[in-house]
Amino acid sequence: MARASTPAEAARLAEKRQRFAVLTPPEGVPIRFEVATLMGRAGAQIADIMLTFLGALAIVIVIALLPFNMGGDAAITLLFLLSLFIRAPYYILTELLWNGQTLGKRMTGLRVLAADGRGLTTHGVVARNILKEVEVFIPGTMILASQSLGLVWTLVLIAWIAILLIVPLTNRKRQRIGDILANTYVVRQPKILLLPDLSTTGADEEFVFSADQLEHYGRFELQTLETLLRANPLDQAVKKDMQKTLVEVMRQICRKIGYDEPVADDRALAFLHAFYKAQRAFLEQKQLFGDVRDDKHHRRDEDSG
Amino acid sequence: MTDVAHIRSARFREQREADWLALEKLVARAERGAAAKLSFEESRELARLYRSTTTSLSVARDISLDKALLAYLEALVARAYIAVYAPQETLSGVVSRFFLRSGPRAMRRSWIGIMMGFVAMALGVVIAYALFMQDQSWYYTFMPLEMAGGRHPGASTETLRDAIFDTGEGALAGLGIFAAFLFSNNTRVALFAFSLGVFACVPSFLLTLFNGLVLGAFYGLHESRDLGYEVFGWLSIHGVTELSAIIIAAGGGFMLGLAVLFPGHVSRKDALRIASKDAVKLAVISAIMLFVAGLLEGFGRQIVQDTEMRIMIGWGIGALWLAWFLLPGWGRR
Repeated sequence: MARASTPAEAARLAEKRQRFAVLTPPEGVPIRFEVATLMGRAGAQIADIMLTFLGALAIVIVIALLPFNMGGDAAITLLFLLSLFIRAPYYILTELLWNGQTLGKRMTGLRVLAADGRGLTTHGVVARNILKEVEVFIPGTMILASQSLGLVWTLVLIAWIAILLIVPLTNRKRQRIGDILANTYVVRQPKILLLPDLSTTGADEEFVFSADQLEHYGRFELQTLETLLRANPLDQAVKKDMQKTLVEVMRQICRKIGYDEPVADDRALAFLHAFYKAQRAFLEQKQLFGDVRDDKHHRRDEDSG
Repeated sequence: MTDVAHIRSARFREQREADWLALEKLVARAERGAAAKLSFEESRELARLYRSTTTSLSVARDISLDKALLAYLEALVARAYIAVYAPQETLSGVVSRFFLRSGPRAMRRSWIGIMMGFVAMALGVVIAYALFMQDQSWYYTFMPLEMAGGRHPGASTETLRDAIFDTGEGALAGLGIFAAFLFSNNTRVALFAFSLGVFACVPSFLLTLFNGLVLGAFYGLHESRDLGYEVFGWLSIHGVTELSAIIIAAGGGFMLGLAVLFPGHVSRKDALRIASKDAVKLAVISAIMLFVAGLLEGFGRQIVQDTEMRIMIGWGIGALWLAWFLLPGWGRR
């Protein structure tokens, strides 16, 4: 993989490494879903296992409290059978009822989607959860009992787990075998959160920038500044430890764009907001006319080409 | 602040924000499982807002550099897409459709896989029985010790009889856990026979064969003590259902394996996907049968002590399964 030479390039590489499943609906506007990581899915799985186990335990306790007498052996037997029958049906029912989300997936913000972009079919949900037994539960219980396994079976187990990991790691959508069979994949549930528009706050007469001064930065720097400003809204007092950072950023920008007028330290935040707005208006205008500037090195391409 | 003071993308947002928020509300309602409860007006509104918001997203990608706004629109459109195109499937009719049509049909379509499973198991029974009759020490080769539960060629005929009729208070009293073990063991065998069939049928064949070997040796042991008829009854009451369940699960595995071996005109991945439609139904049928078998094993075998009765119950239920597989769902659609 290519080494990143600038922060902007590093950010681009990081974004490339994040896996997206792109889906084009009939409206023709591609929609991106972020494919869930295996770690995230393991977390959801563990939450589900704990929930089902607690559920089975609760049922056994209730039955044990009922008037008729049940010995310890019978209770253990019952727990054994229950944990077997609560498992697959639990996943199938929850994924059917909540459109691809078990309780564990709800907690961790994941969901199952059909790979063809249509609704989840009953067949798909049943198939992926039946194979979950072979892909998750049986190897899992065998790992727990691995001390009593012989050498041959330990090797078989290792090979088996290797296959189970290789399959999802070698396809784009991180599908496990059950997902491939059911034609489904797991994505992060997109979070809906509308933040205020930064360009509409704050007075802008105090700082005025010329077009020359706005030529220096690109989209990446603008959005980095946006992140900084979202952490420091105009209408709130600046946190002590942030003030120094803000002043430093302000000074750096002034130096880079050649902004000569002195800016007082306590006006640093106001300056940055005003600069953000002016820079964004400038870059958006450029973009509208086909001049897309991804970062401050955007001129390099023109020079070399 | 006046409209003019805002930059273009901020004005763009101001004009459409109300629509986005309305869509957000509708999507949240639809996701709460109320998609079916949305009124006609609301569903139409959902579709309209979804379409206008996809347009907003498309425009925003071009004109806006506001990262937060882009992330919001991406997420909103993605969630709305799911609400519009991939909503909660209605579950009514899924169960009855399975029992009345799709289940039996899948069974009949998969007859070749089920036959293969049956042949593998029968082969195992015959081999083990023949070998055991020649030399009793074969028993230890076929029967895993933890499954034998004290029943081996060294045991006395009385012990074996007690195990069958559950009169003894001795070594075999804790039959509950043993039955549960056997049962979960068979569930596991069924599961493996099903899912490992993908590897060109071989594991399914071996597992079913091995199951047949155990059965053959077990039967041979009792036959040699003149307990053949009794053990036949003991096995019948749950075994007809349980062994059929294993054979059916293996049948599903064979169908998957056959799809991998002979994909026909499509790619192996697609062939597997198509075959899985029926195979998964076989697995569900097998799970249902195993559940019934578990009940029969846990209760029926202890309560019913009469051999004739055991045979009648076992094969009667077997006939019911067969009727379910053969009779419903012949009509077109």
